[in-house]
Amino acid sequence: MSEIVVQSVERTYRSGGRAVHALGPVSMEFEAGRTTTIVGPSGCGKSTLLRILGGLDRPSAGQVLVRGQPVGERMDGIGVVFQRDLLLDWRNILDNVLLAAEMKGLPRRAVEPRARALLDELGVGDFADRSPWELSGGMRQRVAIARALLCEPWLLLLDEPFSALDAMTRDQMGVLLQQVQQTAKTTAVLITHSIPEAVFLSDRVLVMSGRPGVILDDIAVDLPRPRTLALREEPEFAAIVRRIRVQFERSGVLA
Amino acid sequence: MSASDQAQQGRRLDRVRPREQAAIGRQAATGRGWGWVLPTLSGIGGLLLWELAVHGLELPSYLLPAPSEVALVMVEKWRLLLDQLVYTAFAAAVGFVIALAISLGLGAMIAASPAVERVLYVWLVVFHAIPKVVVAPLLLVWIGFGLKSSIIFVVVFTFFPMLVNTVAGLRSADPDLLLLARSMGGSSWHILRKIRIPSAMPSIISGIKISITLAPLGAVIGEFVASNKGLGHMLIQSVGSLEVPVAFAAVTVVSVLGILVWYLAEFVERITIPWHASQRGRSGSES
Repeated sequence: MSEIVVQSVERTYRSGGRAVHALGPVSMEFEAGRTTTIVGPSGCGKSTLLRILGGLDRPSAGQVLVRGQPVGERMDGIGVVFQRDLLLDWRNILDNVLLAAEMKGLPRRAVEPRARALLDELGVGDFADRSPWELSGGMRQRVAIARALLCEPWLLLLDEPFSALDAMTRDQMGVLLQQVQQTAKTTAVLITHSIPEAVFLSDRVLVMSGRPGVILDDIAVDLPRPRTLALREEPEFAAIVRRIRVQFERSGVLA
Repeated sequence: MSASDQAQQGRRLDRVRPREQAAIGRQAATGRGWGWVLPTLSGIGGLLLWELAVHGLELPSYLLPAPSEVALVMVEKWRLLLDQLVYTAFAAAVGFVIALAISLGLGAMIAASPAVERVLYVWLVVFHAIPKVVVAPLLLVWIGFGLKSSIIFVVVFTFFPMLVNTVAGLRSADPDLLLLARSMGGSSWHILRKIRIPSAMPSIISGIKISITLAPLGAVIGEFVASNKGLGHMLIQSVGSLEVPVAFAAVTVVSVLGILVWYLAEFVERITIPWHASQRGRSGSES
């Protein structure tokens, strides 16, 4: 059974007395333990959809069911990584990771070993006592991922997590995230503009159209894991990338 | 490329971390430790010029006393000046603390509730538009001579910048940060304590920095009108009786108080928001 069911969800914003139809109606399902990526052009409502999944925004119509229960105002057990790392300047790296536990009122003693282990796993363990501004963009985003994973979320939401990074760091982060996912086995929904990134990281890719976003294609990515960057030169990989690109070309997003 | 070339490259400003950049910038500004020489020479030179001018032009001391004469008065009357200083500083300190409490409380209420803001906003604008100096004589009528009047005048004089900055600060929390906190399941209380208040600190501190320097000034103005003690009263009285050197002594003491208060504010800033961009690279204790 699917863990998350999205039933004809729509989102309309009011902006200066005018209604802006941002999303949908879209329907889809997400299976437990799998990584699904949503690719689509800017402004197609991907981020809105992600927020609705996380209970951070409400649909104007339709509903989201998590394990059969409608999503309410606030959801438990969610980890979110945003495009910006959103580290707090007044906390050191370790304390930034621990924020996720403090917000839930958990004692930091209990989670500190896990926080340190996560920082080690993500390759920034040596910087636990440093301040955020001493780290590079890629390192900061690693800390943000550690923070999202701290409380062992069942759902990981990634809203263009690497789009502010340079190409090389981005590839590195992709491999790293893939490794982390291999052990964490969290249900994950990723949003990106990058087609190769989408294919590389996911078990399934959903292709969205421009505003108001609807689903154009639903592609299973059955490439073996763990994946290495060399996979991107394989014909199977290229075939999926091409299929997505063709979708965008047909809908006029890519000329 | 030789090793020394590489070392040279490594020192390029864009290759070092922000904190080091700040430190390098500071070093350049202070001119390798000799930064104090010019200001000192300039200060001494100015005083010397003043002294010479007074003697050269034979100005009477009720017009412009020489620095040496002012210094002499300060030594002679040190006990009296100290008493007045303590009195004025006390009024300034108590008034400032009350103003701080009011502006933090009121600021939090305004930031939390648009309804409260709409009710209070008009009054705050009106209040701010009234020249505060006008209020001082009224305090004399309402409350009479004494410490209480001075303190209330300091409150009136200093609370506005802190209030405005508190409201602005509490509203300035990054919306994405609030979203992140919500995704972590944070309660309003946790979000206030761990996100909103720390985010507001730089703004609140800059309000405090403005107000804290206004506090001694407020106390002195209050004493002009509604006090028979304090540096302000001493100033008015000595000018009235043409004891201008005494007035200059009082002004000197007020200025010294102002300088001390400024450094106090800087110190508070350094210990409360060491993480803020304006403070990075300042403390050697870190790293």
